[in-house]
Formats: sequence, C-alpha cells, structure tokens
Amino acid sequence: MEEIKNKLDKILLKAMKPARYIGGEIGSVVKDRDKVDVRFAFCFPDTYDVGMSHLGMKILYGLKNQVPNWWCERVFMPELDFETLMRENDIPLYGLESLDPIKVFDFIGFTLQYELSFNNVLQMLDLAGLPVLAKDRTSLTPIVVGGGPCVCNPEPMADFFDLFILGEGEEVNLELLRLYEKMKPEHPTKEQFLREAAKIEGIYVPCFYDVEYNGDGTVKSITPNVPEAKPKIKKRIIADFDKVYYPDSFVVPFSEIVHDRSVVEVLRGCIRGCRFCQAGFIYRPFREKNIDTIKTETKSLCEQTGYEEVSLSSLSTSDHTRINELLLSLSEYTDGENVNLSLPSLRLDSFNEELLERIQAVRKSGLTFAPEAGTQRLRDVINKNITEEEIISTCKMAFEWGYTQVKLYFMLGQPTETDDDVRGIAELADKVLQLYYDTPKEKRGRSVQVSVSAATFVPKPFTPFEFEPQATEEEIMHKQEVLKSAVRSKKVRLSMHFSNTSVLEAVLARGDRRLCKAIYSAWKKGCYMDSWDEHFKYDKWLEAFEENNVDIAFYANRKRSYDEVAPWSHLDYLVSHDFLVRENKKAHLEQTTRNCKEGCSGCGIKPECGGVYCGGKKTST
Amino acid sequence: MAEKRLQPKNVDLRPDRYDRRIVYEKCGRAKYISHLDLMRAMQRAIKRAKLPIWYTQGFNPHIYIMFPLTLSLGFESKVEVMDFALLEDMPFDEVAKALDAQMPEGMKIVSCGLPIHSHTEITHAEYKIKLAADRLPAECEALFKDFLSKDKIEIEKRTKKKTVNLVDIRPSINVTELKCDDKYLYITVVLPAGGSFNLNANVVIETFLGMYELTADELCIERTKILLADGEDFC
Repeated sequence: MEEIKNKLDKILLKAMKPARYIGGEIGSVVKDRDKVDVRFAFCFPDTYDVGMSHLGMKILYGLKNQVPNWWCERVFMPELDFETLMRENDIPLYGLESLDPIKVFDFIGFTLQYELSFNNVLQMLDLAGLPVLAKDRTSLTPIVVGGGPCVCNPEPMADFFDLFILGEGEEVNLELLRLYEKMKPEHPTKEQFLREAAKIEGIYVPCFYDVEYNGDGTVKSITPNVPEAKPKIKKRIIADFDKVYYPDSFVVPFSEIVHDRSVVEVLRGCIRGCRFCQAGFIYRPFREKNIDTIKTETKSLCEQTGYEEVSLSSLSTSDHTRINELLLSLSEYTDGENVNLSLPSLRLDSFNEELLERIQAVRKSGLTFAPEAGTQRLRDVINKNITEEEIISTCKMAFEWGYTQVKLYFMLGQPTETDDDVRGIAELADKVLQLYYDTPKEKRGRSVQVSVSAATFVPKPFTPFEFEPQATEEEIMHKQEVLKSAVRSKKVRLSMHFSNTSVLEAVLARGDRRLCKAIYSAWKKGCYMDSWDEHFKYDKWLEAFEENNVDIAFYANRKRSYDEVAPWSHLDYLVSHDFLVRENKKAHLEQTTRNCKEGCSGCGIKPECGGVYCGGKKTST
Repeated sequence: MAEKRLQPKNVDLRPDRYDRRIVYEKCGRAKYISHLDLMRAMQRAIKRAKLPIWYTQGFNPHIYIMFPLTLSLGFESKVEVMDFALLEDMPFDEVAKALDAQMPEGMKIVSCGLPIHSHTEITHAEYKIKLAADRLPAECEALFKDFLSKDKIEIEKRTKKKTVNLVDIRPSINVTELKCDDKYLYITVVLPAGGSFNLNANVVIETFLGMYELTADELCIERTKILLADGEDFC
C-alpha cells in the first residue's frame, strides 16, 4: 500500500537495521493483489532475525505461494524502537511483500515455537489493529490460526485463536485454504466456516469445546459442544516424507539473521526417545529423505539463494540410515562450489572418524555435545543412551584432530536428580579436559576450553515427564551452588543462570484455559518479548497470576497422577498415553528403553504413518 | 593427516584473474541495505549469477569483492562501483547481464568494464540533496546561504583516542547549485571522499539544521559523481 510505504520512507532511517522492515529481498514472492483470492499473513511472533531463520515458515510460505491465486506474506514482531515509531505514525502491522495492513487479510497465522513468544501474538494482533480475543473478532476474516510445537497444548492461548492446526502443516494448510476459497463466495459467518473447518483432520477449534474442572483445580472433562467437533483431534503427519513439498528457494535477507544459510531437512522425527524431549515424541515417527532428494534440494537451494553454507536440519542427523554415503555424496557438490556443509544435531554415540573428517574438511570449529546429565544413573533415567566411554572416546578423537573447544550441555532439575548427579557434571567436564592434556602436544591445538552450560529442566506435554514436577527455584539455586563449587579448573567455563523464564515456561507449557486470563492481564501490564532478557518482566507476570488466581506451584511443581485428565487430553499426538506412563515408570526404575532402530517399543504410532522403523514402507534406494 | 590440514583448500586454482569493475544503482527500497549487508548481497548475487568468480587463495577462500567508497545507509546512487575478478575473460556485457538479473529490487547493473583508476585516486564526490523542513523552502534557501557565508563551521569529531576535536568543515563544502521550488530545497554539493578525508553529506545537513533549529520532514540524498583530484569522473 502506497500510504504505508510513504510513511515508512519517513521513519525507516530512524530504526535500527531498517532493511528488516521493508521487504524486497531476493526470493520474496510479490503478486498482484487484485488477482489473488486468499491472502495469508504468516506471522512469526518474534523479531525478523529469529523468525527468518525458521524452516517451517520457509516451507509453508513456498507451499502456499505455489498456488497462483493465493498469496502468503511474512510478518514479524518489530523491535521496540521500530514498534514505537510505527505507533507514533499510525502504521498498522503490515505484510513485508505488499506492505498492506494484515487486518485486511483472510488468514493470520502464527507459529507457536516456544511458550515465551505467546504474548507477542497478542501484541502483534493489537499492532495490526485487531481485538486480541477471538470472541471479539466477529467477522469472518481475518481468521486467526496457530500451528507449531506449542499447539500440542494450546489451551493457555485458546481465547485468542479461532483455530489451531495440529502436527505437520504441508497437507492440512492446503485443505484449510481450499475450504475457505470454496466457501468465501457464499459469505459464511465465522461460525459456519469454523464448523466446516473442524471436520478437517488436524483442525482444532477451541471454542467448540467446554472444559469442566474438579474441586481440586484439575481438569474434569473436555467435551465438544457442536456436532462437527471430534472428541479427539489427531495431529497430521506426512506419511511419504520423501515426496513432501520442499521449497527450491528461500527468501534471502539483507541483514544478518540467526541462521543465515541454506537449510535442507534430511529427516523428521527421532528414534531416540529421550524422556525429557518433547520434539522426540511429538514429531514421531522417524522418516527420512532419500539421498538423491536431499542432494537435489541442496543444489537447488544453493543455486537459487547464492548462500555459501548449507546446513542439514533434523533432530539427529547422524541417525539417517545412510549418513556416511549422504555426506560423501553431498560434499562432492559442496566442495566444488565452495559451499560449507554444516552438520548440527550430531549425536555423540554415532560420531565416528569418518564423520569427523567430513566436518574437518569444511571448518574446524568447536564441538558441541549434549550429555544432558552428569552421571550414567541419571542418563539412564532420562533415557539419554550414551555412556561415558562414548563421550570420552569422541572427545579424545576430537582433541587429536586439533579441536580446542568442547561445549557440553546439561540440564538441572531432572526427575530423581541428586547432588551426586550434579557433581557428576563437573567430574565429566574435568575428565574431558584431562583428555586434552593427555593428547600429545604435536597433535593437539594450542589452548583448550571446555564450556559447560546447565539449563533448567521444564517438563513438557506428550513426554514421559509430563507428570513430573519442575524443581523449585530454591532447589535449582542449591544445585547451581553444588555445581559451582565442584568446578575447579579455569579451563572449564560454567555458564548457567537461574532464570524465572523457565518457571513461566513450565506454567504455560502444561497450563489450561484458565491461564488465558492471566496471559491477557500480563500483556496488558506490558509483558511481551519475554524471551529477551531485557524485556522480561517477571514481577508483572506474578501480579497477573495473582490477580487471576493462578497458583504457579499447581501448574509447575505438582506431581500429576497418571489418570489425571490433562488439559491437552483431547489432542492426539499418536504416541499413546500408556506408552508415556510406561516410560515414566521405567525412568523411576532407572531403566532405559531401546531406540526405534534397535527394536520397536510400542509407542503407539501406526505403520501407515510411514516411519522407517514402524514396519511400514522402507526408504528405497 | 597433518599435512592435509595445512593445505589451503583451493591451492590448485588457476592464478589467472580477469579484473572487472561494475557500476551499479542503489535506489528505492535498496537504500536501506547497509554496507555490510550489501557485501553479502553482492556475493550471493555473484553466486546466483554463476559467474566464474575468483576466490581469494588461502585457508578460507572467499569471493573477492571491493568497494572503493561506502555509501551511507539511506543514500541513493546511480554511480556506485564494485570491483571483483573472474577466472575467465568473460565479455563485459555478459557479466553485466548475468549479474543484473540477480539484483534485488532497487538495484541495477549500469555497466561493466576494466578498472581504470585506482581507489586511492578518489578525492571527492558529488551529492544532490532534496530537503523539506519545517520552514518554507525559500526561507530554508536563505538560511542555507547564510550558513555558507560563515567563515568557519566547526563540528565535533571523535578521535581514535576517544577525545573530541573541533574540525572546521566550511572549506570542504563546495556547493555548486542551490535552488528551491514550492516544496523542496535542492542542494548540489561536492564533498571530500576517499581514503584520506571524508565528509558525509548527512553531517553537513545535520549541522545546518542544528544551527538554525530546523527539523527535516523529508530528506533525500543521492550520490551523483565520484571524482578524482582533477575533477574527472572516477572510472
């Protein structure tokens, strides 16, 4: 819209990194607004630098824009300086492609990637000039939809959204937009549209469900209140992952973003089942792409974007059934084109010399490993199936190859953790450090740094630890003291700080609909951009909780019984409740569970979901 | 294994290089691209254009590009220059065409040729400034004439030692045209540019606005020439 463009021209130079707010990037899709029938604002509720790095957005942006008469645009949360300028100059939130206000769009979609971005949704709706509560948005459009991992328990956000999309979006987004395109000429009411949408598998319309509570505050029942709403909503899954849509081009930003490179998704799901890890359960089953598909996508993306770095994306890249062959084949292309191949998410136990050599051929940076717990006992509890010997042998090899930096990630406050487990973290770091000194001088690098980072554990829905209490602030403080006094060497750098954000995360992650009011109050008090330390206002959150009778301990620190009705129990993420209970019991018995590759443990996922190890279709050559 | 690690990655590349100098436009939306971002954008454009680009020789080979003058964020220009080298003697118009196809909105390749002057020969640049402030254009024009009539215009300049020096910029300001219509004041000015001494057109305007307590409603600055000591165009 010319009006917004003219206004922007007057204020952009006053903002930091203005290139983020004007669009025009290579790869961005600009269509004729008069020739499109469905307009979708894909909103990432965080800044451009963060949101532009998000792979899901790139996929769904390309997917929707493939349809000639649909137009999907990108929208991000402006930084505070620019937000102030926007408000001062009456500029509503706009799409980066058309510079039109998103208020006039048919759909406004948010991806909920982490709990601390929830309040940005409210702030962005407000900046768009829309009421934040779904019930106050009475006209058909814009239809406000949500997706992403946090939608596995969207209850704390239920009042703000018209519908949620559960699971993988590649098919269901098309179905939803097609339905809208079909119904639009009939001018349905919002309710008429939502009732039809509720029939699509994976679509959850929160206002079509009534929630009742028990006297003790737990959920009693969740019941549909219209015939179209199913008692259980199943997440969507792409069974033929090798054939799923993948963009051949990305929007290439001008300003530097967090992950500024080509990204190719090599596999989805995880075979491991680490008991704290939500991604390990909600993205099941494990599916992978064929080497040729990955190679074609890599080549196309690098050529279309001009990026000189490509990263393989997955939860655990080394679990690809033909990882060595894949890397060999990819590096034939990348080496010739001066493209760096970067491999995040490598698992410690599958790290072999050949893999190390491959990475070596690209860049000698630090190695990062996540043992998550300091002792074998606790690693068994959390089902992080790596042994100390494996950690040691990998680090030994890394030092011999000249690596000088090893980063080790841990979590504090996991179920059954004792002070001995905490001290085990320091002991493990010391052992790794000693390996460097044991490495012959002519082989090892000049100096060494072992970084230990200890985060606070947050129990998440759809994991075996969804029943577990989060450690209290006092407990975490104590554990941190124990760890601090156990670390002796200056070469071990310890980074940890207790942040109240993990308490907030824990409340929101397993919260119910009664939290909507608290979120609304907190937002009214100025809470948003909560994932940014400089913006996080815990005192305001506490006020909001108190005013709305939300007891933090009830949500965060309470041990939940196996038969309690979870706020998300009407959502089906295909992993069975029985399996999660079984896994929880095994955790307390310090028993591990084999990974999917070693044999099926009966998590409840059916073969027709296309899992490599689920007895269904295997990947072809 | 040890020797392998010491081997520069592209050591067997041919050392032949064919230098190219590009003149390009940076207008419209592209004026918000910062200099650092521009370098990345150009490297990626070169990759997309599949030019047989020359990489630096060493452990960390990267695309070699050089900009003789940075253009401040927010300035427009049709005379910007970028140098790079190719591995093959590719014709100028082919290079220009391939690269032009990869330019983002607001950017255009004007020409491609051989570099003639060295970057160090640049001494001045010409800017065309369009300004609307909170006074009538005619009044602004009178004020600007008054500004130019000063013997001395001192600005604060931070030194490397973090102290502040007063610098007289009046001798460096060479206004070649000054006029106005009912909306804007138009200034054409030549300012020192290049390696030894630079004066940013923004600084001149800010100093002017500050001196007469004016607020700019609209300010457009375009670099129109890059000049050598003898007044010839850099090419």
